[in-house]
Amino acid sequence: MNDIVGIDLGTTNSLIGVMDSGFPILIADRDGKRLTPSVVYFPESGEPIVGAAADRMRAFSPDRTVFSVKRLIGRRPGESEKEDFPFAVRSQGGRMLVEVGDNLLKPEELSSLVLKKLKGDAELSIGCPVSRAVITVPAYFNDLQRQATMRAGELAGFTVERIVNEPTAAALAYGLDRLSDRSRIAVYDLGGGTFDISILELNDGIFRVLSTNGNTRLGGDDIDRELVRLLKERITARHPELRPELENKLFLARLREVAHSAKVHLSTEDVVQVEVPFLSGNHSFSYNLTRQELEAIARPIIRRTRSHCLRSLDDAKLDPLKLDEVILVGGVTRMPIVRQFVAEVFQRLPNIPQNPDEAVAVGATIQAGILSGQIQNVVLLDVTPLSLGIETFGGLMNVLIPRNSTIPCKAGEMFTNAVTNQTAMQIVVLQGERELAKDNWELGRFELEFEPVSKGLARVGVQFEIDSNGILHVLARDIQTGREKVVDLHSAVDVADEAVEKMIAESLDHAFDDMSERLWTETVLKSNELLPAVRSALTLVGDQIEPDEQRKINALVLQVETALKSHDQRRLKQANSDLDEGTQQLATLLIDRAMAEAARRKR
Amino acid sequence: MIDYFALLGIERRPFIADEFLKNAYLLKTESSRADKSDVDALSSLNMAFRTLSNPVTRVQHLLTVEFGDARGGQLGSDLGELFGTVVEALQAVDGEIGSLSAQSSALLRAMAFQRIDAVRGKLDDAEAELSSREQSLLADIRSIDEAWCENRAQCKAPLAQVALSLTFVQKWLSEVRERKIRLEELA
Repeated sequence: MNDIVGIDLGTTNSLIGVMDSGFPILIADRDGKRLTPSVVYFPESGEPIVGAAADRMRAFSPDRTVFSVKRLIGRRPGESEKEDFPFAVRSQGGRMLVEVGDNLLKPEELSSLVLKKLKGDAELSIGCPVSRAVITVPAYFNDLQRQATMRAGELAGFTVERIVNEPTAAALAYGLDRLSDRSRIAVYDLGGGTFDISILELNDGIFRVLSTNGNTRLGGDDIDRELVRLLKERITARHPELRPELENKLFLARLREVAHSAKVHLSTEDVVQVEVPFLSGNHSFSYNLTRQELEAIARPIIRRTRSHCLRSLDDAKLDPLKLDEVILVGGVTRMPIVRQFVAEVFQRLPNIPQNPDEAVAVGATIQAGILSGQIQNVVLLDVTPLSLGIETFGGLMNVLIPRNSTIPCKAGEMFTNAVTNQTAMQIVVLQGERELAKDNWELGRFELEFEPVSKGLARVGVQFEIDSNGILHVLARDIQTGREKVVDLHSAVDVADEAVEKMIAESLDHAFDDMSERLWTETVLKSNELLPAVRSALTLVGDQIEPDEQRKINALVLQVETALKSHDQRRLKQANSDLDEGTQQLATLLIDRAMAEAARRKR
Repeated sequence: MIDYFALLGIERRPFIADEFLKNAYLLKTESSRADKSDVDALSSLNMAFRTLSNPVTRVQHLLTVEFGDARGGQLGSDLGELFGTVVEALQAVDGEIGSLSAQSSALLRAMAFQRIDAVRGKLDDAEAELSSREQSLLADIRSIDEAWCENRAQCKAPLAQVALSLTFVQKWLSEVRERKIRLEELA
């Protein structure tokens, strides 16, 4: 049998599906669960354990239980957070590696273990081997992240037939039984670790992506992290003596679990009792967390999706009222605050699918059905999320393929020798939206070879092609000799990586020289900004706050002024942040005042 | 050089209705996917649609396939003046963005809120002015389109001029809109 499976390889959970008599069906594992936690546990001896059983080990064996690998895949050192994980993450040879016991593992190897588990479940359920797969990635994944995901699939024993963007897959799941529709939809996909927004036009079975935008480092994980911080604060407020205890890895892993589950419950409840039993010795901690408190910390994180939504609307040349539907995808969209936020940005109530966690996997399976011919009359036209270009003279980026170009697509560029007998030229390939080359992702660099001829006579054409997986291929062709060469960007990347790492290491070394002096100066600067701001805020709206509040603020101001004379950086920093915290109400009043004024002016 | 008009099977003209162009593209794409055409063919169709969708690149492509080059025109003084206003608005915004993004204090943000409101007003004005310029340039393309059938050569210079002006207007518009989004991020 020649089935192609569809896989949603998620930050937190993964799913697998297959076409069954013309319908996409998601496959359950032995325990009847369709969601497989993307977690791998490495026991002291024996084979790694994947899925729910591994997830249960997170709180017991935090340094041997690896999760959220998607945040590391295809990333360079210096680009991704290391300290955030309870397991060890190292950078070596320009890569991010996870260290478990004596093993150093690449993120794609870890992901391949999750994929293998899904493959096994599918084979058990279908009753025959499967070897071909469609795997989804966040639409905003760059070339390196896509390539690494593809390698993960290959390591798991799959032929990866297609890499599909998650929001596009979700749109397929939404649109499959509405094929005769003509509509414009937005897919708002907020998952465990990544955020994507895509705008599509559905037209008689043609799914055309108009624009996509996102952030591959924004998701539910961030809310969990902030919630852990809040719980730690509450615990130390009650038990100051436990402060050192709170940095214990085991404890933090337990707290993270408690925080996550509290977050999930608060989507349907208004208040939830957070219990951390046997915190230390016989201390237990119990706290009533309200939805309001959760929303206060989630709001700034969710707000960060706004500019991405605005950019994608702008790129699609649409205003929100021209959309027919906004679809929510990803577990985090179960939070009421996300739904309110989306309703506000898009000026309409969003469409809430029954299972926001499953739409992407269903869509991947549909794409598998399209490729295997089981589904006909459906055409998918996706885009490349990021502009592709090369570095030009002066360190600028010259865009060759603009973002949101329909894929596959290609662009050619002609190069010539600047001096007689020049035999090589270095080309730096970039992805991103910034003007300066250094602000974008460097996908790699390669040497273009010239025949030794007079200045301006060499002619080498380079073709950049982005295939249907969103992956770049480069071909160089010497016009005079007709010689063609497929350029391997990959090997070049590794070299560049080491250079980058060296650079980072050097700048770090250097930074320590004058660290303490710099820290003090920065903190003083902050105080010097804050103090006058507080003074003028008090003149503007001081009469609107309670005398008690005023006294409190004055005391905090005095605290900063004394700390300024102390030359104690830590003390000043604390005083600054206390003042910062203490003037929140003042800030709110100021904004209210400014908004009222703005409204008056518009009238 | 591929003639994208020919590739999509449509007449060479300065103006093409969006819906008409899209249908031509989707029809070709569907049929070439059905016969499993290679990546090259699909890429060319995608490129053709992208080029002809944007009035600037469409006119430039038309001039190139028709006359061999798309050069001509110059930046008029009216646009030069507009450019001055736009740059002023952009600089004011960049100043605010620069002074704010490094700060985290709620109070400092609140203090900046009023100043931001003022620069946002400048951006809105610039956007409105640019949008109306864009509309009138697009209208110019339509009126040149009417003369196109009778005398193509006579249309060359005015088309090159419109394409050049529109390039600048579009570029500035996208800069202004990006700044508006960045201001949103700060608020």
